[in-house]
Amino acid sequence: MTAYIIRRLIQTIIVVLLLSFVSYALMGLMPGDPLDIACQANPHCTPENLDQMKKALGLDQPVYVRYFKWLQGFMTGDLGYSRTYRLPITDILIPRLINTLYLSVTSLVLSIIIAIPLGVFTSLRPNTKFDYTLNMFAFAGISIPSFWLALMLIIIFAVKLQIFPASGIETIGLEGEISTFEIVWDRINHLVLPVTTLSLLTVAFWVRYTRAKMLETMRFDYIRTARAKGLPESRVIYMHGLRNALIPVVTVIALGFSSIFSGAVITETVFAYLGAGKLIFDSIFANDYNMAMCSFIITSFMVLMMNLFADLLYAYLDPRISYT
Amino acid sequence: MLKKLLLTLLVSTVVSTNGHALPSNKQLTIGITQEFENLNPIIFSMSASSYIYFMASHPLVAIDPDWKWQCWLCTTLPTIENGLAKIIDEKGVKKLHVSWELKPTAVWGDGQPVTAEDVKLSWEIGLNANVSTPSKDIYERIESIAVDPKDPKKFTMVFKEVRYDYYQLGSLYIVPAHIEGPVFAKTKTQQGAYEKQTTFNINPTNPALYNGPYIVKEIKLGSHVILDRNPKYYGKKPAIDRIIMKLIPNTQTLESNLMAGSIDMISELGMSFDQALAFEKRVGKDKTLQSKYAVQYIDGMIYEHIDFNLRNPILADAKVRKALLHAVDRDKLCEALFENRQKKALTMIHPRDIYYAENVTKYEYSQEIALKLLEEAGWKKASSGFLEKDGQKFTLNIMTTSQNKTRELVEVFLQDQWKKIGIELTINNEPARVFFGETVKKAAYPGMAMYAWVSSPDNPPRSTLHSKEIPTLENSWNGQNSGGWSNKRIDDLLVNIFKEFDAQKRKVMMEEVQKIYTDEVPVMPLYMRADVAVIPANLKGFKMPGHQFHSTLNIDTWSLDGSGQGH
Repeated sequence: MTAYIIRRLIQTIIVVLLLSFVSYALMGLMPGDPLDIACQANPHCTPENLDQMKKALGLDQPVYVRYFKWLQGFMTGDLGYSRTYRLPITDILIPRLINTLYLSVTSLVLSIIIAIPLGVFTSLRPNTKFDYTLNMFAFAGISIPSFWLALMLIIIFAVKLQIFPASGIETIGLEGEISTFEIVWDRINHLVLPVTTLSLLTVAFWVRYTRAKMLETMRFDYIRTARAKGLPESRVIYMHGLRNALIPVVTVIALGFSSIFSGAVITETVFAYLGAGKLIFDSIFANDYNMAMCSFIITSFMVLMMNLFADLLYAYLDPRISYT
Repeated sequence: MLKKLLLTLLVSTVVSTNGHALPSNKQLTIGITQEFENLNPIIFSMSASSYIYFMASHPLVAIDPDWKWQCWLCTTLPTIENGLAKIIDEKGVKKLHVSWELKPTAVWGDGQPVTAEDVKLSWEIGLNANVSTPSKDIYERIESIAVDPKDPKKFTMVFKEVRYDYYQLGSLYIVPAHIEGPVFAKTKTQQGAYEKQTTFNINPTNPALYNGPYIVKEIKLGSHVILDRNPKYYGKKPAIDRIIMKLIPNTQTLESNLMAGSIDMISELGMSFDQALAFEKRVGKDKTLQSKYAVQYIDGMIYEHIDFNLRNPILADAKVRKALLHAVDRDKLCEALFENRQKKALTMIHPRDIYYAENVTKYEYSQEIALKLLEEAGWKKASSGFLEKDGQKFTLNIMTTSQNKTRELVEVFLQDQWKKIGIELTINNEPARVFFGETVKKAAYPGMAMYAWVSSPDNPPRSTLHSKEIPTLENSWNGQNSGGWSNKRIDDLLVNIFKEFDAQKRKVMMEEVQKIYTDEVPVMPLYMRADVAVIPANLKGFKMPGHQFHSTLNIDTWSLDGSGQGH
């Protein structure tokens, strides 16, 4: 097992390195540097100014030279400066990642708590009124675009009922005027609508998935055998049924966790939530190489690590699987 | 029980109105959709940054809401007439010496006076090759700055060229030498080091960085800026205690935030034009909303037009270009799409600009004239209903930025209008990044390109009309004369106008430029874009200027009358 993990970790590093080069090169190939466009819109920006600005940012050098310089810095812990904000990457990215972490983890945990029991529950009552109703809501949840759902939630709960704030991560300008408890409460209040948006969509998908897998599992011979042996129904469902049904569900959930840092661009944008998702999106379009590359590394690393985690979890859930 | 709860929720959703009160002078929260960066004025390039900066600091000179250049930090605008600007012959070379005096009461937020040393340092920073300054051109025009040894508030600028627009130093922003001087001394020899270590980055809430009505209390990039009244401000005390700028990138959410009371107004850097029209209608129908909001429009400096690619043999013929203009009912376009809130443009010059000329060639909507001109150019109606010449069908291509709803609607309008006279219009739009970064830059559009030019008042259009500005492979695609128009007389006028110190003579020259422009039609003028803002109904003294010096430059005139309940 240890050898397997080490092998996979080495593979992960190689894949991340390759991906980083491809991402860097692709970004360099994108037509129309935002600097050119900004200069075109400024009557006082001359071609000489533009050349000088490009030189200052190192954009006058070939892509591969810039990539290796970036890689060298990255390896030594120097993540560089954001071209857009002119601040160290860590100063901007880390607080944003933390905010995204709050949003994504809350939403994912909430989704697991709601979706898996609901999926199991409805799979045990197929073709009932409850099953049909839940399926209807699940289909609606899968079909509704997140930006529409977000706007509806804002209109109902922020504009009309005025229960929750419409945007942001906290009430601005209250620093030093409210207690720590009030700060925490304020942050939670700001999380409610974006978390609801993200969770509703995830829950809808996972309920359908868990239900389908449970229905499939409960038809297997070993379930019939377990029942024939006279095992209590709860043991049949949770120890024999759910444990086996969870194997594919775990993959989906693990991949869901892999995107916790890349965030939810649409949800963050609509709620003006100060997270990493929109920052990454904007940094790619602004050719903010240092920012975009850090985000790429984090995202791809998370995907690969969560895949590894899912693989290891298979072995735990299914004793037939072993890694040597 | 559940049914009762759901019913209550539904009823309250439908019936309830926005319970928030009008803002008071205690606090005003302004929503914007555009990103801002740090507030070092020599470095920033984003429009939202200057919008915020103008609340915290004043430039040396700026254009007022009446479109006149005025002193902001100086006492008198230097002119040849008042003797503060002089043309001096130095060893056979003519130089322009301009004397300035800063306001005696002008101080930074820490009480230190704003001095000529601040101006000199700012110029040195802007000029430095290791500092990325988006408007370096302004700094490079100045040869030297000499501080008056007897009076720290006085200095003389020597300009390299004798040009009439020497006073147009709106982008020459001033930073405090006692704060930024040591930083610049440490970083000036290293590429990009000043941008990283400037106090505007390291300690942006240091009051000494600002000289305007407000100082920055808190700044969170990508989120908000809090500005509090500057106790040391030398001018009129602003009425509003605190201003909060809140960034909400999505325009729909921005509107929802306004309705929810999270923001009190939407700045000119917020709502899209069509969204403002829809919002205005909503306000018009609802008395509650009328008591809370007012929607304001002003013609802006953004000129929407169509570049004709004159390398295209069809469009190289001036008669064809004139016919295309005659065949489009631009008044109807402005009425149908913009409810006349955005007006038809005659030329690239804004009607409020001092150079605006009415006496130009005008192209009334007439299909008959259009067809006659096309016939003269050799185009005849074929049995297919389309025009043909030498067996070739009259087909043109237009390109613009994709996902821009307004431009796409204009394209459809043009397609319909030109089809009526037998011209086929094909549409091929691209993402803005590709369109501006490749297609327009390299004049790679086969027929026409629809986009906008941003200008400023009293600014002869050399960068867009001079033949030296035609982008070519040889000049590395530099220049904004993308259509490739070349006219000797225009070139001469656009060079000589900068040497002309008589405003009346310049006006005559610019009238000629506009006459030739409308005679030859190298570009099809469409309309001037309007700036829009939604303000609280009780906000007084707010005035959108319609140019690059945002409304916030006059924030000390804003006040919220007493009807507001406050936050």
